[in-house]
Amino acid sequence: MAPIFLTPPTDPHTALSISAQANTFLSAQKTLWSSLPYPLSLFLNTESQEKWTSYENLFLALLRTGDHDSAYTCLEALTTRFGKTNDHILALQGLYQEATAKNKEELEEVMKAYDEVLQEDRTIFSVRKRRAALLRSVGKPEEAIADLTVLLDASPTDGEAWAELSDLYLEVGALEQAVYCLEEVLLVTPHAWNMHARLGEVLYMSAIKMEGGEQTKTLSESMRRFCRSIELCDGYLRGYYGLRLTTSKLLEMLRDGKKGQVATSDPVTGDLAPPSVATVKKLNQLATAKLGEIVRRGTAGEKGWDGYSEAELKAAKALIDSDTQKIER
Amino acid sequence: MAGPIEQQIHRDPALFYWILLPITVVMILTGILRHYLSTLLQTTPKKQALLKMREQRHLMRARNMIINHAQISKAAFNKRKEWFADKVKEGTLLESGPDGKAKGKPNPLSDPAMMDGMMGMMKGQMVMMVPQSLIMGWINAFFSGYVIMKLPFPLTPQFKQMLQAGVGTRDLDVRWVSSLSWYFLTLFGLQPVYNFILGSNNAASQVAQQMQMQQQGNPMAGAEDMEKIFAAEVENLEVVEHWYVLDGVEDRLLAKFASSI
Repeated sequence: MAPIFLTPPTDPHTALSISAQANTFLSAQKTLWSSLPYPLSLFLNTESQEKWTSYENLFLALLRTGDHDSAYTCLEALTTRFGKTNDHILALQGLYQEATAKNKEELEEVMKAYDEVLQEDRTIFSVRKRRAALLRSVGKPEEAIADLTVLLDASPTDGEAWAELSDLYLEVGALEQAVYCLEEVLLVTPHAWNMHARLGEVLYMSAIKMEGGEQTKTLSESMRRFCRSIELCDGYLRGYYGLRLTTSKLLEMLRDGKKGQVATSDPVTGDLAPPSVATVKKLNQLATAKLGEIVRRGTAGEKGWDGYSEAELKAAKALIDSDTQKIER
Repeated sequence: MAGPIEQQIHRDPALFYWILLPITVVMILTGILRHYLSTLLQTTPKKQALLKMREQRHLMRARNMIINHAQISKAAFNKRKEWFADKVKEGTLLESGPDGKAKGKPNPLSDPAMMDGMMGMMKGQMVMMVPQSLIMGWINAFFSGYVIMKLPFPLTPQFKQMLQAGVGTRDLDVRWVSSLSWYFLTLFGLQPVYNFILGSNNAASQVAQQMQMQQQGNPMAGAEDMEKIFAAEVENLEVVEHWYVLDGVEDRLLAKFASSI
C-alpha cells in the first residue's frame, strides 16, 4: 500500500495526487479472494489499520477533487466495516452530504440531521465538530463559537477544537479570546512550533491596534513567540517571516525614542522586559538572512528544502524585496 | 567412563499416536476455541457518560496546566488557576454537580457501570476455567499413569515433580515425561503456536490473560472521591513555581545561530 494514502489530504496538491490513484487503489482492494461468502471470508484476514486509514484519506481527497461517486464507494466500504452508528462514520456521512449539497436548503437538512444525532447522544464529539464547521462555512461564526464553547466545556483538553475556536474568534475580531484559545492549545501540545508562531501572529495583529508601551510589550511578546517557534523548528518559514516583521516594527519603535517606559521586567505580573535594541537588530539580521536562504533554496527546489508552499515562499520574497526597496529610496 | 546406566523402557508406539498426539491437538484446539469464545463474549466498552468525561477532562486539563505551565505567561497562568480554583470551590466540575458534593464515596456495587466491568471479568474467567478443568479431568480419567516420551537431554532431579506428575516411581529417570506433565507443558508452552495461528494479539493463552488481570487491578477500588482529587489538584497548581519559556528565548536563539551567521 502506498504511503501516500496514509497522510490526510490537507492541501490541494496531495488531494490531487491521492485521488489520481483512486481507481488503482479501489480495484486493488477488489481481488477475487475478497468476494468469498461469509464463513470462508473469515480465513482471509485482510484487516489492517492502514487499510481503513487509506480509505478515509482517499474519501476526503475524492471529496476535495469532486469525484463524488468514488467517494461514495469509499464511504460505503467504511460504513459496512464499522457500522452506521459509529461516531466517526456519522461525521464522514455528514461530510459527504455537505459536499454533495447543491443549495442552502440541502445544507439546512444536513444541519437538522446533525441536530437529531446530537439530541440522541450528546457525547458524539465528531458530529458536534462537523456541525460547528458547517456553521462556520455557511457564514455563522457566532453560532459556531457557541457550539464549540459547549464542546470545550465538556472536553477542555481538545487541542483541535481550541485551535478552531481561536480561528473563529479571529474571524469575528475578538483577538484577546483568540490568544486565550491558542494558549490553551499550547498547554495541550507544548512543542507545536506552528502554534507558537500562530500565537505570535495573533499577538502581532493585536499589537498593531495598540499604542505606546502596551504595544511594545505585546510586540516583544509576539517576537519571542516567533523566536520560540524557530527554536523548536529551525526551518520554519512562517516563524522567520514573523520574526522579521516584528523585529522591523520593534526597531522602528525603539528608534522613535520612546525608551524607558517599561524598561524593567515586572515580577508581580511576570511581564518580561522588552529586548534591547542590539538584540532586536541581531534577530532582524538573522531572520533576513534565513528568509533569504530559504527563498533562494526553496525556489530552486534544492534537496531537503523543497517542502515549502509556493505561496509562502512568494510572500517571503515580497517581504525581503519591499525592505530592500525602502533602503534604496 | 562409568556413567549412570541408562534406563531403557520399551514403549508401545501406539502411546505416541493415541496419547501424545491427541493431548497436543486437543490443547491447541482448546486454545483456538478459547480465543474465539472470548472474542464473542467481549462486551463492547461502554461509552462514558458526558458528565463523567467532563470531570475527567477538566482534571486532565489542570494536570496539563501544571506540566506545561511554562508555555504561557504568568498572568495567563494565574487567570486559569483562579478560574479552576473557583470552579472547584463551587463544585460545578464534578460529575454530580454542586449538589452532589456532600454525598461522598459511592458504593461500587450499586453502580451499574462497575457491575458491567465485573461481569466482563467473570466471563473471561469462566472461559478460562471451564475448558481447563474439563480437559484436566479428561486426561486424568483416560491417560493418567502413562510414561509417554523421553526427553533427548539430561535433567537434574528437581524436574521430577514437573515432568512426572501422576507417575509414582521414585527411581525413574527424570528424562521420562508422563502424560499429565505433558498436559501442563502444553498448557503453558503453546503461546508461540497460538501466535502463529491466530496472530499476536490473541486471547488463547491463559497465562497471558492472568497477567493482564493482575495488572488491571481490583475493579472494586475504582470509585474515588473526586472532590478530594480536585482539591489536591488546586493545591498542586497553587505551589507551581512559574517560569516562562519565552524568558530569554531571543538570547538562546542568537546563541544557537551564532556560528551560522
